[in-house]
Amino acid sequence: MRWDMFKGYILKGGKMKKIFLVVVLGFFSAAAAFALDGNEILKQVDRNLNPESFEMYRKLINIEPDGTKKEFVMFSVKKGKDKIASVFISPASEKGRSTLRIGENMWLYIPNVGKPIRITSLQSVTGGIFNNSDIMRVDYSAEYNCEKIETTDSGYTLYLKARMKNVAYETVTMFIDSEKLLPKKIECYAASGMLIKNLYFKKIKDFGNGIVRPAIIETSSPLNKGYKSYIVFAKVKKRQLVDEIFSLNYMHKIEGLQ
Amino acid sequence: MKKVFVTIIMMLIMVLLSVSAFSETTDDDLVDLDLDFEIEDTEKKPYSINADIEAKETIVFFDHDALLFRQKYLDGKKEDTLWQTGVDLTAEGRYQYEIIKFYGRLNSLYYYNRNEDFESEVKAEEAYLTLQPSFSLALDVGKKVYKWGKGYAFSPAAFFSRPKDIDDPDATLEGYFNLGADYIKSMDGPLKTLAVTPVVMPIGRDFNHMTGPKDELAWGSKFYFFAYDTDVDFMFLISDNINNQVGMDFSKNLNPSFEIHGEAALVKDYSQIIIDSYGKTSEQEYTALNYLLGLRYLSSQDTTWIFEYYRNGQGYTAQEYENYLTFIEKGYSQYLSNSSRTAITKSAKYAAYYNQQAAMRDYLYLKVSQKEPFDILYFVPAITCVYNMNDQSASITPQLTYSPITNLTVDLKAGLLTGKGKSEYGEKVSDAKITFSVKYYF
Repeated sequence: MRWDMFKGYILKGGKMKKIFLVVVLGFFSAAAAFALDGNEILKQVDRNLNPESFEMYRKLINIEPDGTKKEFVMFSVKKGKDKIASVFISPASEKGRSTLRIGENMWLYIPNVGKPIRITSLQSVTGGIFNNSDIMRVDYSAEYNCEKIETTDSGYTLYLKARMKNVAYETVTMFIDSEKLLPKKIECYAASGMLIKNLYFKKIKDFGNGIVRPAIIETSSPLNKGYKSYIVFAKVKKRQLVDEIFSLNYMHKIEGLQ
Repeated sequence: MKKVFVTIIMMLIMVLLSVSAFSETTDDDLVDLDLDFEIEDTEKKPYSINADIEAKETIVFFDHDALLFRQKYLDGKKEDTLWQTGVDLTAEGRYQYEIIKFYGRLNSLYYYNRNEDFESEVKAEEAYLTLQPSFSLALDVGKKVYKWGKGYAFSPAAFFSRPKDIDDPDATLEGYFNLGADYIKSMDGPLKTLAVTPVVMPIGRDFNHMTGPKDELAWGSKFYFFAYDTDVDFMFLISDNINNQVGMDFSKNLNPSFEIHGEAALVKDYSQIIIDSYGKTSEQEYTALNYLLGLRYLSSQDTTWIFEYYRNGQGYTAQEYENYLTFIEKGYSQYLSNSSRTAITKSAKYAAYYNQQAAMRDYLYLKVSQKEPFDILYFVPAITCVYNMNDQSASITPQLTYSPITNLTVDLKAGLLTGKGKSEYGEKVSDAKITFSVKYYF
C-alpha cells in the first residue's frame, strides 16, 4: 500500500481504525522509551560509580573457605568509557605488574618478562574469583545494552546483553537502587545461561567532590563455593589524563602516575 | 634412566598430595568480616626498593653415554648425579625526582656444586636513567633490556636483547648499555596508537663486551601500531658487527579465549660456521629468515595452552648437526685408542654454535598449565614440551607451582630429555634434571 493511499485510508477511515492506529503507535513509542530509559539509567549508574576520567586505589581480597586471606593493592586510572590502566602496589610478589584495557583488548605487563602480553577477560591476574574483566572494569554502558527493564518496589532491574564478543559475561542482571541510581547487586551469566558470579555493592561512602558510591564490592561464585572475594575502593577522585597513558609503551611507567 | 623417571614421578606425586592435604578445608562457613577495610600505603613515595630471594636445590642426572657429556667430561665422571645448592638474590630500586627517574636491578647468584666448587656471580641486570619531559616522550640512558617481539618461548625479532632461556622464558635478562627514546602518539580513528622506539647501542670491548671488525654504534628502531584491535610492530637494526636485521610482529585476540601472534626477522649476510664429521670447518653466508607463529588458548576449564612453531633460519640442518656429533664420536674413539684430545678439543671450540639452545631449524613449543585444579587456590601445575622436528628429539618439563601464602612461591620442576642417538636432546650432558625452589619476595 502506498503512503498517500494509507494516509487517505486513515483520514477517511472509521473511528475504530484511528483508535487502533493510536494504540499501535503508542505501544511502539512506549517500547522505544523504555529501551532508552534502560540505557540512560545504565549510563547514569556508570557516572555515579565513577567520573569518566579518574584515579583510584583498590584492595582485592581473596578469602578461602578456611579463612585464609590474600590481598592485593592496585592503583588505577581510567579515561573515557573503555580505557583503564592499573598497577599492583602490593604484595611484593606482584609489585610493578600492570594491566591495560582498551575496549575489548587487554594486556598484562610483568616486570620480569619485560614486555606486555595479551590476556583475556576470562583469565585472572590475581587468582581467586575475580577475573580480568572484574579488575579492569570499564563502563557497563560501553560493554552492555539494556534489553529489558523492570521496576520493582526496591528499584530497577536491568537485563543487559553484551555489545561485544570479547566480554567475560554474555548477560548481566543489574539490580539498582532507584533513588541513588547505584547498583545493589549484579548477577553475571555465561552464554549458556549459567550463573557465574554475584557481585554485591556495599557500604556507600562519600569520596568527596560529589563522588558517592559503594566502597566495597563482595563477590561469590557458584563455581567456587565457600570462596569469597572483595574489592575495596579508596581515594576515588577525578583526574585529567592524556590518551598516551593508555598505551603498551606506557605500561611500565604507570606506577609513576601515583 | 627408568629409575630417574620413577624418582621424578614419585616426587611430583608426593608434592601434589602434600599440597592437596595442606589446602584441604574443614570449614565451609566463611569467616565474618568487618567491612571497614582500609587501604594503607597509598601515599606516593619518590623511591621504592623490592627484593626476592630464591633458595634452589637442583639434581642433574648425567648421561654418561651422551656425546656432549663425553665432549665436556672427556675423562669421565664417577658420579651419576650433580647436586647443586643455590641462592639467588635479586634487588631492584627506583627513585624519581620530578621528570628524572632511576631504575636499577641487581642480581647475585651463589651456588655450591657438591662435587665441584662454590661459585658466585653478581651483576647489574639493569641500571638506567629516564628523562620524561612529557607523557608522550621518554629518553633512557644506561643498561636496559629491550624485549621486542611477541613470541613466548622464542624471540627472533628481539634485536637489542640477549636470547631467552627456553627453559624459563619469563626469567629476567641482563640488558645492554644503550641510549633509547620512546615517543607515543594516541589518535582517534582506526589507528589508535603509534609509538616509535629508537635505540643506539655502542659495541666494542669497553661497551657490551662485543667484539667485531671495529668499535661502532649499532642503531635501530621499533615502530608500534595499534589498529583494528591488533598490535603490530616493525623493527630494524643496522650494524657492521651484528648483522643488519629487519623484522615485524603481530598479536591479536580472535575471541575472549584465543590469541594468535607471530614474529619474523630477516638477518642479512648471516655467516654460519659449520664443522663436518671429519673436523673440517667451513663458513657459509646467506640471508636467514627466522619466524614463529603462535597461539594462546584458555579453555572453559581454565587450562591455558601456549603453542608456537619456530623456524630458526640460522640453525643447522639435521645432517649438519649429526656431522658435528659424529666428529665428537670420532674424537672420543681417538681418545680411547691413543689418548689424543685433539679432535674433542677442536669440537669444543664450536660448542658455542652447536650446543646452544634451539641450535637446529624447526621447533614446536607447547606449554599447558591448569589454573587452581581441585579448588586449590594459587596452585598451577604445568607441562612444557620443546620438540625438535628435525631429529624428533624433545625436552619435557612437568612443573608444579604453588603460592600458599602471600609473597612465597614454591616450585618443583623436572626436565626430561629424550631422543635417539645423534639427536639434539638425545646427546645432551644430562638426560634429566629436578629443581626444587622456594622464592620469597619482600
